Amino acid sequence: MNNAQRRLITAGYAGLPFGEFSKCEAGDVGVLGVPSEVDGGPRSGTSLAPDALRRMSGQLETILPANGRDLGNLDLSGDWSGVLMQLVTQMVDSGVKPVVLGGASDVASAVLRALPDLLVVAAMPRARGDLIERAENTVWVGLNGDQPAEEWDQISQRAMEWRTARQLDEGHADFSGMPERAVLWIDISVIDLGHAAGAVGLNPGGMKPETLVSVIGAMSCNWQAIAITGLAPARDTRGISELAAIETLNAALRHG
Amino acid sequence: MGDAAQIQFDTIPSFLGVPVGDLEDLVPGQVAIAGYFCDNLDRPAAGQRYLARQLRYASRPGKVPANVIDLGDVNVFPLEPDKHFSAIISQCEAVLESGARMVLVGGDSSGLQALGTAAQKVAGADVPVVPVTGGIAGNLPKTQPVILSVDLNELAGIWMSHPSRLTGLSPAQMIAQIDATSGNVIAAAIFGLAPALDNRGRTETRAALAILQAVAERLAKGER
Repeated sequence: MNNAQRRLITAGYAGLPFGEFSKCEAGDVGVLGVPSEVDGGPRSGTSLAPDALRRMSGQLETILPANGRDLGNLDLSGDWSGVLMQLVTQMVDSGVKPVVLGGASDVASAVLRALPDLLVVAAMPRARGDLIERAENTVWVGLNGDQPAEEWDQISQRAMEWRTARQLDEGHADFSGMPERAVLWIDISVIDLGHAAGAVGLNPGGMKPETLVSVIGAMSCNWQAIAITGLAPARDTRGISELAAIETLNAALRHG
Repeated sequence: MGDAAQIQFDTIPSFLGVPVGDLEDLVPGQVAIAGYFCDNLDRPAAGQRYLARQLRYASRPGKVPANVIDLGDVNVFPLEPDKHFSAIISQCEAVLESGARMVLVGGDSSGLQALGTAAQKVAGADVPVVPVTGGIAGNLPKTQPVILSVDLNELAGIWMSHPSRLTGLSPAQMIAQIDATSGNVIAAAIFGLAPALDNRGRTETRAALAILQAVAERLAKGER
């Protein structure tokens, strides 16, 4: 058995030991898989994402720039979103950074409901109504042109910052109003379909994976929580989508 | 090698479609490409040993310099590292002593190590290894013997069937670096790729083949 194989069996995401939240210390990360599935639609497979990310990070021998525990996958029977909100709140209150591996977008929605007073940095192709309506502003990363006019109006009225995928790929990645603390939501559908096909959303006008990594890595926010959703690993046999998720997460933890 | 033997070998897939030859065929200035089927000794990753075979299967006769030959494969002993290194070093030494330039294709980076030792023995001095990622490539005297290290793991993920990193060089950037390498390139090792053996590996195999061609052309040019 080689090192990578041994690591796959004994370790969680990026080599972190599996363990309970109570074993985490302040400053640690707590990686939690929430394998929820999208509600219908032609593209599915998000429930496979947490374990696929663990497997891929093991194969690549990824090392997280932080200590912590892999808390395993959340049991999705019953009121799982309520349990998730409670767990995220507990972790943040204890100084532990939740890294939540979805799952569908409902996973990130639950994380954000647990942290209603924080600004959100949302890397996603299309602005979401529930984010626009939050009390705190959202910084939009990688929007494509496919927004209804009323959503653009709301974003403009609230003076939210946004950059399109094209602007970011062309190097216009300067965000002026970044707060010290925020929540990061990465919907893998923000990546262009031609670069990484393993997303539930089809986004032909999306970002390059390496742009996503560099843009998130350049943000100096102290991330209070990170959620990754929309990854459908079985749709990308080359694994670029998983690789993009892993490298973006590492970049966020390294600089944030 | 006689004509009859050459006709028989013409049916064997060879690197870039070049003629197949033996050690006794080598003359000074010739470029000898050899396969290296060992991937368990240095930065081990199973499957890298099949690169040479894959490149031969994917090769078509093209515009390759006339003095390039496929020397076959070096004999390897992957389960006996001491015997292995001594055997690889002596085989590489025999090629370089003939005055030919040598390209070792496939496997892990242990081939580069052995090639370095062999070149040092033949040249009687340290022979610098120039990585294809650049750096000192443009600053060497024309006559300085060097070994070119072409680590295909430096290719960006988009070119690979099983990427391990997003960023990296494109094949065109790698080829430009190879062409721009100064000095007297007496040997090269191309390694670090475990190609997918089905259709998924088409892109990386074609990229590796184009890079091999660039290496053969650079070695055929001699001092620069």
